[in-house]
Amino acid sequence: MIKPDLSIDFVGIKLKNPILTASGTFGYGYEVADLIPLIKLGGIITKTITLDPHCGNQQPRTSEVLCGLLNSIGLQNIGIRAFVREPLKKLSKIGVPIIISISGSVVKEYVELAKILRDEQNIISAIELNLSCPNLKKMICKDLFLVQDVIESVKILSKVPVIAKLSPVTDIIELALFVQNAGADAITLANTYPAMAIDINSFKFKNPKILLGGVSGPCIKPMAIRCVYDTYKNIKIPIIGCGGIMNGKDVVEFMFAGATIVSVGTASLISPKNLIKILEEFESILTNKNIESVKEIVGICSTI
Amino acid sequence: MYRRLDKSYKVICNKKISTNYFKLSVKIDESIYKDCLPGRFFMINIPGVFLRRPMSIYHVKNNVLSFLYKVVGKGTKLLSNIKEKTLLNLLGPLGNGYNLKIYKKFNHVLIAGGTGIASISFLITKLKKGILYYGARSKKDLLFLDKFKKNWEVIISTDDGSKGYKGHITDLLSKRIKTEDVLYACGPNLMLENILYIAREKKIKGFISLEERMACGFGNCQGCAIMVNNEIKMVCKDGPIFDIKELYLNYNNSI
Repeated sequence: MIKPDLSIDFVGIKLKNPILTASGTFGYGYEVADLIPLIKLGGIITKTITLDPHCGNQQPRTSEVLCGLLNSIGLQNIGIRAFVREPLKKLSKIGVPIIISISGSVVKEYVELAKILRDEQNIISAIELNLSCPNLKKMICKDLFLVQDVIESVKILSKVPVIAKLSPVTDIIELALFVQNAGADAITLANTYPAMAIDINSFKFKNPKILLGGVSGPCIKPMAIRCVYDTYKNIKIPIIGCGGIMNGKDVVEFMFAGATIVSVGTASLISPKNLIKILEEFESILTNKNIESVKEIVGICSTI
Repeated sequence: MYRRLDKSYKVICNKKISTNYFKLSVKIDESIYKDCLPGRFFMINIPGVFLRRPMSIYHVKNNVLSFLYKVVGKGTKLLSNIKEKTLLNLLGPLGNGYNLKIYKKFNHVLIAGGTGIASISFLITKLKKGILYYGARSKKDLLFLDKFKKNWEVIISTDDGSKGYKGHITDLLSKRIKTEDVLYACGPNLMLENILYIAREKKIKGFISLEERMACGFGNCQGCAIMVNNEIKMVCKDGPIFDIKELYLNYNNSI
């Protein structure tokens, strides 16, 4: 049997395989360098960075739900200036493409972020705009005028491709078309689903413990794949698929539905080793099916 | 950086030691043995629940790592059913562990509440003498009372008064605490909050072990964040042991 060619070109970035880390789940990347060979990853999408440091939300921040993780971290991060000083330098030494996830609440913040990142264009491969964090007061991608402004202004400044990460709780086809027309080079589908957990063990009549946040993990996988499938048929720009990928078979499913590459989040929180396991399983599925190149399987559900 | 491993180990014992309390032992690699310090923890992969569960080290000897746990929910219930010789996946050791290098000349005062006795009794094995304050719900929740070394004075409280003082262990602590004492505490949040309050009021030094919900255990999910000294820290990575003087009284809602 011949080993499949896993390499893929994504908006001009040469990836040695289509499996990346998802934003917000892999810290600044190098913290787990002792646990897995980071060089094997297709790429790293960093946790979302904002212009100024963010301390994030109060406790509770996480809750396990059936086959998933509910979180309300609230974009805790050290801010772009501190990020480019140290973490980015370390990230660039790993030797895999680095995609920087950024977020802001107004256009001006995105512009500032894009300006700072322009000076780092040699070490970053792309920018991912997190337009869909469910734990902020306002989700950017629910305001189409703002989305257009953000994408257009970042695109003018950025010398690297710009990817828009969208929320699945939208009219996803309409939003994806809109984002494409605004100039995005690619889209990520999808962010977490807004969700809720109630702890009845701590039940008090007036003050039950609740957690509002975004849910990730295998429980959202069927919906996330549908998002990718529906969108793929309607747009021309490529898709990063994500949502509950736990094994190699899940990667194949996302790619069949139309994702050019995928990102893995929650599985890597359970164990960073899962990233390598997923990659190995994916490769062995393609080998067994005699697939020569990973490019052959992208979107095949829509060609039948 | 010390060595941490993400690996499966053989369960050599998983037995009930008292009502609802279990001792789990696994045979670990020699390479991580010396880094299994009191206060550090492992993330345990329990088949049947989605996320791994953090559990502090109760004991390490001759490559045998032990945990002590109480069956409280689905995860610990499933864990209690795991048979000997099963392979169990663990990540660790994680966290900072108790700091024994400073305050060496102070009297060691250890405070354990409930299953907090796991890391505290491990800590006792590293210290020569001191006082142990140990609070639990009732007599049947008190563990290893016969095992503490001779040089240790043990003071007991139970919520229902079935053994020792009836009430909170911190009531007893606040009466006897002295400025030349150094505190090491592990237990429920209410107990830790009381200890912080007492320590602050009487200017006592010490460390407490915090517990917070965490998805990963190594700093990536950022679920276990608290504010320490005006900086965000992760209980998993920067803790779980924190210096009393750096914590806010309402550390739970400090962000």
